[in-house]
Amino acid sequence: MSAWLLNGLVAIPFAFAVLTRVVGRREAPAVGLAVVGGVVTFGWSVWAWVDASAALDGSHVDRPWIAEIGVHWHLGLDGISGPLVLMSTLVVALCLVSLVRHDPGCGGRADLASLLLLIEAGVLGSFLALDLVLFFAFFEVALIPMWFVITGWGDHHDEPGRRRAATRFLVFTVLGSALMLVGFLVVRSEAGTFDIVQIAATYRPSGAAGVTGALLVALGLAVKTPLWPLHIWLPDAHSKAPTVGSVVLAAVLLKLGTYGFVRFWLPVADPSWRLLAPFVAGFAVVGIVYAALACLAQTDLKRLIAYSSVGHMGFVVLAVATFTVGGVQAAVYASVAHGLITGLLFFLAGAIKDRYGTGDLAGITVLYGKVPRLAALFAFAAMASLGLPGLAGFWGEMLAIRSAVYAGSGLPVATYTVLAVIAALGVILTSAYFLQLLRGMLQGAPAAVRPVNEDVASIELVTAEVDPGTAMAGPLRADVDRMEWLTWSPLVVLTLLLGVAPGLLLGPVSTAAEAFFGGLG
Amino acid sequence: MTPQDIDWGAVAAPLVLAVGALVVLVTDAFAGPPRSRRAALVPATLTVVTVLVAAGFAVRLWDQTRSTFCIVRPLDGPAPCSFVVDRFTLVFWAITLFGTAVVALIGTVAVAEGRTPLGEWNFLLLCSATGALTLAGSRDLVTLVVALEVVSLPAFAMTGLRGGDAKAAEAAVKFFLVSVISTAVMLMGVSLVYGATGSVFLQQVDSALAGGIEARQVAVAGTLLTVVGLAFKVAAVPFHMWVPDTYVGAPVAVAAYLSVVSKAAGFAGLILVLTYGLRSFADVWAPVVAVLAALTMTVGNVLALRQRHAIRLLAWSSVAQAGYILVPFAAAASSGRAVGASMGYLAIYAVVNLSAFAVAAVVGTRYPAQRLTDYRGLVRDEPGAGWPLAFALVALAGLPPGVVGLLAKVVVLDAVAGHATWLAVVMAVNVAIGLVYYARWLAELFRPGEVEGASRYDVPNGVGVAIGMTFTAGLVFSVFPGWLLDPVLAALG
Repeated sequence: MSAWLLNGLVAIPFAFAVLTRVVGRREAPAVGLAVVGGVVTFGWSVWAWVDASAALDGSHVDRPWIAEIGVHWHLGLDGISGPLVLMSTLVVALCLVSLVRHDPGCGGRADLASLLLLIEAGVLGSFLALDLVLFFAFFEVALIPMWFVITGWGDHHDEPGRRRAATRFLVFTVLGSALMLVGFLVVRSEAGTFDIVQIAATYRPSGAAGVTGALLVALGLAVKTPLWPLHIWLPDAHSKAPTVGSVVLAAVLLKLGTYGFVRFWLPVADPSWRLLAPFVAGFAVVGIVYAALACLAQTDLKRLIAYSSVGHMGFVVLAVATFTVGGVQAAVYASVAHGLITGLLFFLAGAIKDRYGTGDLAGITVLYGKVPRLAALFAFAAMASLGLPGLAGFWGEMLAIRSAVYAGSGLPVATYTVLAVIAALGVILTSAYFLQLLRGMLQGAPAAVRPVNEDVASIELVTAEVDPGTAMAGPLRADVDRMEWLTWSPLVVLTLLLGVAPGLLLGPVSTAAEAFFGGLG
Repeated sequence: MTPQDIDWGAVAAPLVLAVGALVVLVTDAFAGPPRSRRAALVPATLTVVTVLVAAGFAVRLWDQTRSTFCIVRPLDGPAPCSFVVDRFTLVFWAITLFGTAVVALIGTVAVAEGRTPLGEWNFLLLCSATGALTLAGSRDLVTLVVALEVVSLPAFAMTGLRGGDAKAAEAAVKFFLVSVISTAVMLMGVSLVYGATGSVFLQQVDSALAGGIEARQVAVAGTLLTVVGLAFKVAAVPFHMWVPDTYVGAPVAVAAYLSVVSKAAGFAGLILVLTYGLRSFADVWAPVVAVLAALTMTVGNVLALRQRHAIRLLAWSSVAQAGYILVPFAAAASSGRAVGASMGYLAIYAVVNLSAFAVAAVVGTRYPAQRLTDYRGLVRDEPGAGWPLAFALVALAGLPPGVVGLLAKVVVLDAVAGHATWLAVVMAVNVAIGLVYYARWLAELFRPGEVEGASRYDVPNGVGVAIGMTFTAGLVFSVFPGWLLDPVLAALG
């Protein structure tokens, strides 16, 4: 495929980010420009995807960047990165569209849009990079803009809180990526190259240095993904960020971690190390259960969705740690599905928060009665997220559990089977908290019991609908408007489509995985 | 001894600086006190011109190695030389010359204030830079020690030159005392090495040690003392105590000079002594330097966390950065080229750190207290100063868009990963700690000011040029890092 298609995928969002910033003084045209940029990037990525073959065919961009230490400007698109690229460009474009009508407060929409485009440039660069150092460099590009998004446009009610959340996000991620870099460099000292295609084809990790390298890479990516117990930066960052920030964080930035696991960790790790792969899988499963339990206890909508992300990422990492093509398929599938569904959930959570002025679950009730369409959409997204068959979320989790049962050769079968069973249990817990959420938030508070008339000793059940003390008494709030339909419907349609026709994604991924990993079981 | 020829081409650059220093001094003496602000800029202009001429002489030497001041007809082996210009030398010359020019330009902030005699100040600056150039070319211990003193002595005076400034005087004395002690320690080490090996020439010291000597213990003691002496110069922990007070007390331009050119000279000395002369003792000094590096970056970063004073923060950050620069030495025992990574880091650090100091000098014209909150709203009110500072801070932290800073860290980690992985991990943790304080400062820059336009400055032209130079260099090298890193990393060939 053509070099300019790949370079353009990084350059276009960057160029539009700069342009948006330049015309930033006049806000409306600047935001319009950013939307154009987002849509053009999305179109460009579709074009690149159509043009690319499912497997890396050697015709990618590859030129020396720092010749002296062998760092190359090496980009390529295949069936593993392609779906994530498409999902990211779509989600960022939708975020930008949502900014047209929706002001996240404290002004500066143009700056916010420009930062989102910068993040997009970094993320796309990471997905395309086939050089270890280049991947790391692009990985870091998104951080400072994201930090600005959280500090500048985060939760208005809690300025110290949002600063703390932003800095914690930054420090954790940089710590992770710095460790990952050290891991990469150890791998380089063993394998002799930064080229991941070559490493995947020829590198056979062994010895203490091989283990150290793989361990450090895993540790670094575990912070980003995030894997339990390194997830502690995530709930704060997600809940304090503005709506578009949460969407991009959850749908796009977390995927850097999972993609890193697939593309950059699998080739440098060896399934026969008893102390690495099973532990990674184990932490992933603990994360699934932990996140589900944590969700049951959450009182804030955005925090709840954030914790549910930790669980979903657990499934992805479990799938990766099976060292199979099926695991790679499950990981990419679950990543894309999570991007679409959690992106939608955060959009909806933002919309609910705007209408109610709070994300506190105690204050949001009876959505079915007040904003029926919004409530229905939320129910749809929650069902998709809990893995209802027929929707996108189902296949990722199902395939992840299946790949754990049929784990790769050299892995302890019994351990993985147990992990698969626990993960399946996690699915049930996930259903539990989402159903609890739907009942509490959409259907209204459980009937309150109070005496109607003090003279009469009889006790009457009074439903929330007639109780003047509850939210139902307030004015009706606006339901989903046209702009919101425009923003959310692509996510809804794709969730349905991928749920009905998973082969659309699974085919190219398996072709790419077989070509990239060669000997993978 | 027969009379020998001197290769004037090789010594041209330091000579030009020395002559330029005299020209500046004489011009200033004859012109008398400047009558206008324009006249006050003459010394700085002369300094920059001198640096350009010296750079012109230096550039022509890139493709060759020139030696001079050699022993004619030695009894055995190749003729040892006291002064060699090779690529290593030229890389340090480039850093020194760039740094000197930028510092001279930053020094022009003092024009408006009128308390610093700029003629003398520029004379001292050029003298010190002459020492730095000589040091990078020196290949024997005596020349090296003398050159190091030539770097330091004018710097004491520059620190305390501002009239009626007690804090500057105090800073100068503190700096002077520490420096004298470090020189004494280093001289002790050098003389032990000389006593053990019988030569002051690095080349002969190296071959004597490689051949095995009787007085090995003496040579080891000499090695350690020399490392300690140089550790004072580069402000490695625990020999860093003078740094914060001196940087804060001195004028900002001098702090910039100390943190870049003077520090680079210390590193040049360290590289020369350790990898040219004491190469076969790498198994002795590499672990010591590794521990020093780990301590330096950790202490520097942790103490920088608490700072609310911009220059003090930069001082601690420069301590931490010195720790990063020391890291590749830890791998020198297994790979002779590893130290090239230190030079690469130093070159990048020089560019971005000078940028930060240049902006700090501008802000200092209105807020001498240099609180971090004084930087509030800088990006919006004075984008010409705010953006370069923001860029410099993210580059020092090692994050995009300061790609150049990120790659500096990659290069350094690359040198030790696989050889001393524990140190690489310590450094990775430190990078994350360092982020906290750089991010805090960055947040101030972008926070809208309380009063719109409160941070608008009358940026002096000279400083404007300095900011422009460093900012442009940082941006260009971020896009084309190979332009800087390829030649520098290859310099140790």
